[in-house]
Amino acid sequence: MEHACDCERGASGDSSCADSGSEVSEIVRRCEELYDDLDLGYVKKWKEEHRSKAIGFLPIYVPRELIHAAGMLPVGIMGAGDSLEIIRGDAYYQSYICHLPRSVIELGLSGRLDCIDGFLFPSICDVIRNLSGMWMSLFGGKYVKYLDLPQNLAPALGGKFYRHELTRIRADFERISGREITDDRLRKSIRTYNQNSRLVRDLFRIRSETPELAPASEVHLLMRAGNVLSVEDHSSLLMEYISATMKTKRKKMDNARIVLHGAFCEQPPLGLLRSLENAGCDIVDDDLVLVNRWIKDPVSTSGDPMDALVDAYLHHSVANASKYIADDEKGRELIETCRSKRVEGVIFAAPSFCDPSLLELPMLQDALDRAGIEHTNFRYSEDMGQFHSIREQAGTFADSIKLWS
Amino acid sequence: MTLTIGIDVGSSAIKFALMEIVSGEEKLIGVRTGRIRRRDPKSVIVETFEHLLEESEVSKDDLDYIATTGDGELCEFRTGHFYGMTTHARGALFLNKDANAALDIGALHARAISFDPRGKVLGYRMTSQCASGSGQFLENIVRYLGIALDEVGELSQKADNPEIVSSICAVLAETDVINMVSRGISAPNILKGIHLSMAGRFAKLLRSSGSSGLVMATGGLARDAGLIAATREEIARQGLGLEFVTHEHSPCAGAIGAAIWGAFRYEKLRQREIAGV
Repeated sequence: MEHACDCERGASGDSSCADSGSEVSEIVRRCEELYDDLDLGYVKKWKEEHRSKAIGFLPIYVPRELIHAAGMLPVGIMGAGDSLEIIRGDAYYQSYICHLPRSVIELGLSGRLDCIDGFLFPSICDVIRNLSGMWMSLFGGKYVKYLDLPQNLAPALGGKFYRHELTRIRADFERISGREITDDRLRKSIRTYNQNSRLVRDLFRIRSETPELAPASEVHLLMRAGNVLSVEDHSSLLMEYISATMKTKRKKMDNARIVLHGAFCEQPPLGLLRSLENAGCDIVDDDLVLVNRWIKDPVSTSGDPMDALVDAYLHHSVANASKYIADDEKGRELIETCRSKRVEGVIFAAPSFCDPSLLELPMLQDALDRAGIEHTNFRYSEDMGQFHSIREQAGTFADSIKLWS
Repeated sequence: MTLTIGIDVGSSAIKFALMEIVSGEEKLIGVRTGRIRRRDPKSVIVETFEHLLEESEVSKDDLDYIATTGDGELCEFRTGHFYGMTTHARGALFLNKDANAALDIGALHARAISFDPRGKVLGYRMTSQCASGSGQFLENIVRYLGIALDEVGELSQKADNPEIVSSICAVLAETDVINMVSRGISAPNILKGIHLSMAGRFAKLLRSSGSSGLVMATGGLARDAGLIAATREEIARQGLGLEFVTHEHSPCAGAIGAAIWGAFRYEKLRQREIAGV
């Protein structure tokens, strides 16, 4: 086996490799700053510079192109992770509800989301639906929209319904921003997001082919940065990272190739991802921060742009627990990912009390069993601080794959 | 021939084992331990690694696989990492081919691991986060008593009337020891009492992990003859019917196991490469 380079960050004696290593570290550091900034400093600065507004959205997916076409900044709100003490948020939810809505409430009540001018709550689960209602009560002066994403994917039914929903929010955004969303503007925004999605796909391809060049923890930080940054800034960041990391000679490890699945809404803490990596896992794919990968193919930039957005959702979106699958087989897409990315095992990571993720779990486990793919599962919450038992579980899982599969 | 090194990164010491595998026959070339003693573990790893290679007259380029276990992320030049239970099981099997289980007694915790004849882990139990079953606890006690760690085993075996520690809580046990000192209890009797208290916990771990037959002690405390003797007494007292043994290389069992699994992976990956998979 080749020992390519003794450096993790490019300290091999090759000066270009060392420079790229420090460039990668610098990009990761910037992403970490954005990740830790619960006060959304970037959003405030962007609003000042662009004299415009920001629209927040909850996981998993909203058509950000419409917000962008109105000249506003879409901001993904994914909870507060492990860096905010929940004082008031717990009063709004029972103990058997996941952690994300508590921290979102806490962020709102502590004034950290004051810079957000409106919110979209996509229809993922009952908890998010209730959160949209609470938001209306708590922050009456702000725009709040519960975005009903279609579960019927037939164009004549779900498609028509979804187009109606999009038409409504298009009008809302025009009113909030004071800017007309022309078809041309919307097509331009679609192109801009298509470019961003292409870069994200490139990054995930690099990650799958050479996981040492794009570790899961770094990719996660880059994706989280995309929740806050404008799409243009995020695309530049991705290009910068891809170019820098491709020049590094980070050492390839003999790790188990795994997929992390089920963590699409409340996000695991960064420390948990790092623990999985340290336990001997190369996480070559995941369903974290799905918003920029929800649509698998480029959205059409010709014809009616609203039809293009509807078509993208109906026919080109990923399989997910929050989306009804009518004729398809549950788990097919996950198995395809495993096969195409030479995955050796799946780690199901579900947030505690996440109904969609946990209800889907047995069906996906059955599908993997039938396909002969190893799997294990654990629960987490965004604020957990001890990863010892998860690391132990992931370590033994990785060993069982490497030694006994 | 496959040449591998195993590195067991523990919290107080880093153990290294250099192994050579020829036609399935495993041979231990050398072992070395680097004590951390408030130094940067990363520099201890590099320093000890280089010393072992130098004394074994092996170059880094000759190594086919560098395998870590424990806190392996601290070793940046590793090829792969294996989990502690997997490596201690395999290391125990190397030290005694008849072993069915290992009792890994490290600085921070103890765990009983049962395994099959291939070294595949079948079950395990470990101490909770409480430190009273660990080497760190024992180290603290001997510091209060002003005794060197190396003297503990011999002194403990000289006990004639061991003073049993009343609590399993490390903090309260430390208070117990201070009281014993003020009551004039001799150091051998205090140490034996501590050993028996720890041994009681180990025996419970062995019972609940389903260990049977021959149990090999691994980890840093496997060289504490007093603790080994006390554990044998407890095993007999509780009627577990286990044979409990140790080995001069038991503290390096994790590193040995990692090196052997590293060789296994090296061969597996080589076969895959040949097959073009």
